Amino acid sequence: MTENNVLVQVLCLRKYFPLGGGLFGGKTGLVKAVDGISFEIRRGETLGLVGESGCGKSTTGRAILQLHKPTSGQVFFEDTDLTRLSAEELRRLRPKMQMIFQDPYASLNPRHSVGKIVGEPLVIHKVMRKGSQELEDRVAELLELVGMDPSYVRRFPHEFSGGQRQRIGIARALSLNPSFIVCDEPISALDVSIQAQVVNLMQDLQQQLGLTYLLIAHDLSMVKHVSHRIAVMYLGKIMELADRNALFDNPLHPYTQSLNSAVPLPVPRLERQRRRFILKGDPPSPAFPPSGCVFHTRCPLAIEKCVAVEPEPSDPYPGHTVVCHLADQSGRSKIPELGGRAEK
Amino acid sequence: MPAILKVRNLVTKFHTLDGIVNAVNGVSFDLHEGETLAIVGESGSGKSVTVMSLLGLIPSPPGQVEGGTALFSGPGGQRDLLKLSRQELREVRGGQIGFVFQDPISSLNPILTIGEQIAESLVRHQMMSREKARERSIELLTVVGIPDPRQRYGNYPHQFSGGMRQRVMIAIAIACSPEIVIADEPTTALDVTIQAQILDLFKRLRETLGMAVIWITHDLGVVAGIAERVLVMYGGRVLEIAPVDDLYERPQHPYTHGLLGALPRLDERESRRLVSIKGNPPDLLIPVRHCPFAWRCEYAFDRCWQEIPPLSPAGIQHKVACFYSIEQGGPRSD
Repeated sequence: MTENNVLVQVLCLRKYFPLGGGLFGGKTGLVKAVDGISFEIRRGETLGLVGESGCGKSTTGRAILQLHKPTSGQVFFEDTDLTRLSAEELRRLRPKMQMIFQDPYASLNPRHSVGKIVGEPLVIHKVMRKGSQELEDRVAELLELVGMDPSYVRRFPHEFSGGQRQRIGIARALSLNPSFIVCDEPISALDVSIQAQVVNLMQDLQQQLGLTYLLIAHDLSMVKHVSHRIAVMYLGKIMELADRNALFDNPLHPYTQSLNSAVPLPVPRLERQRRRFILKGDPPSPAFPPSGCVFHTRCPLAIEKCVAVEPEPSDPYPGHTVVCHLADQSGRSKIPELGGRAEK
Repeated sequence: MPAILKVRNLVTKFHTLDGIVNAVNGVSFDLHEGETLAIVGESGSGKSVTVMSLLGLIPSPPGQVEGGTALFSGPGGQRDLLKLSRQELREVRGGQIGFVFQDPISSLNPILTIGEQIAESLVRHQMMSREKARERSIELLTVVGIPDPRQRYGNYPHQFSGGMRQRVMIAIAIACSPEIVIADEPTTALDVTIQAQILDLFKRLRETLGMAVIWITHDLGVVAGIAERVLVMYGGRVLEIAPVDDLYERPQHPYTHGLLGALPRLDERESRRLVSIKGNPPDLLIPVRHCPFAWRCEYAFDRCWQEIPPLSPAGIQHKVACFYSIEQGGPRSD
């Protein structure tokens, strides 16, 4: 991997939120939503970021785009450290980094026409003038790009279904020719038959325009389908990061293994025979993360070291990073119920 | 296997300012003793309205059950659920028919302890004394896997996580040993590892208690692991009903076919292009006199636009409402 291949580099990113609720609105603690994560996103790839609710995946996306000011850490976009930029410098870089949101109902202004929604970024960034022919042409082009009839420009969001609204959101994100798009649960509010439409569109656009995606989602099957590499988050930390097939064929972290085993397969015969390991309990609160490895309270393989010492990332295989004391090539980090080797 | 519930030609409409929403348009099915029947559909397919109609939980106005029968063979003989009085329905609900909804936080009373809410059902339906109901509730909390049930009995819903609240809902649903449990998207709001816990609990309970289950969901992965038979709904109608293996291996309706093709699978190594079903879900304000899926169907031909296809046999226990046979590559022979 040459340096040039990396579009976004995240270094030890942290985002803590103060916990309110004390008497007179005082702070009573910190929620460590994102707690020291590092990874890179390569040009033209889709990096999937998966995890369950509250694991900090959405906060990570927003902190990368500086929509949440990171508590500490660095985010390099090409060669620029976004965390050190002034508001004005950041504004000039914004066109290159865009976002697609989860809720197609809440993310479009109901009082603006489709034309205004899609064209607005161009006007705000003074690329084109309001009311110009050039702008009208560009909006029509964008609508066509996302598979919508350009004659819809004068219609309003309420006239469209969820899938069409998500297309409008995508057209808006593409208007400034970005190179990087953070997609935060882009299809989870949509019906199954519509999800496939939107996913196919996102993949086509990536090919056509050479886009780089950070895809934040909780649906493992869909993330695997779309992503080239996948990072698994738990309680503000990345537990494992690997190529899509490596992560599913040879998951090293016990959390990744249990997550894989919990996803139902839409094949009754396989589903009935499958080996399964069911995690016990609920994830702990990110306001009071456990000591040592944050997963130790639910990990079936945890040893004393896991309670006391926080594990460092290691790469048992090239390009396969895992944060677990047990993970190595010996297979001792595999859960026995899932066919792994029992060794304690 | 004898049918414990026979639903025939159920019709439910909502009279709104925009017009009449044709939510359920003649739904028929049987639920057999001890089986799990999944009702699958996307938003607006009428899957929830169907079971809400059976339970008498349709808000009226604007909703109205306008036709059909639902013969329930309970301990007291056969009765039509759609003809019961409010009082009689209240006795059936939570007694012989238990239910679990998607969102446990809005189904539980925030100002009663969870123990009181389980006990209430026992006192009302089984005439238990307060003390006996309390002991039985603590047992039920143990059965559904709540740690420290004796302490947790006095906790309020907000002190529980989403998964734990759903366990409480299940305890209430099974409290009176019901013949049927209706579960409406019970795991949709939960994370996948918590969903796995709840699915596991449900399977165990079904083995020990032997009740029949109607499981409503949009998730074909969940269905694969839990159901014996599957009913596919679209636009307020049944498009296909079949044993679970048959439905996934030989889907007969183009819609079912498309839905299965639209799903990415965790066990696939190579990424294929997902099958996308063109177009949008149906507008229920427009009454249809033809196949509700015709607009989006790549196989639709003249007849599909002229009449509503009836549910017809397409295999052993397999029925489909479609004039076209994907297997034969042409119109289905009658």
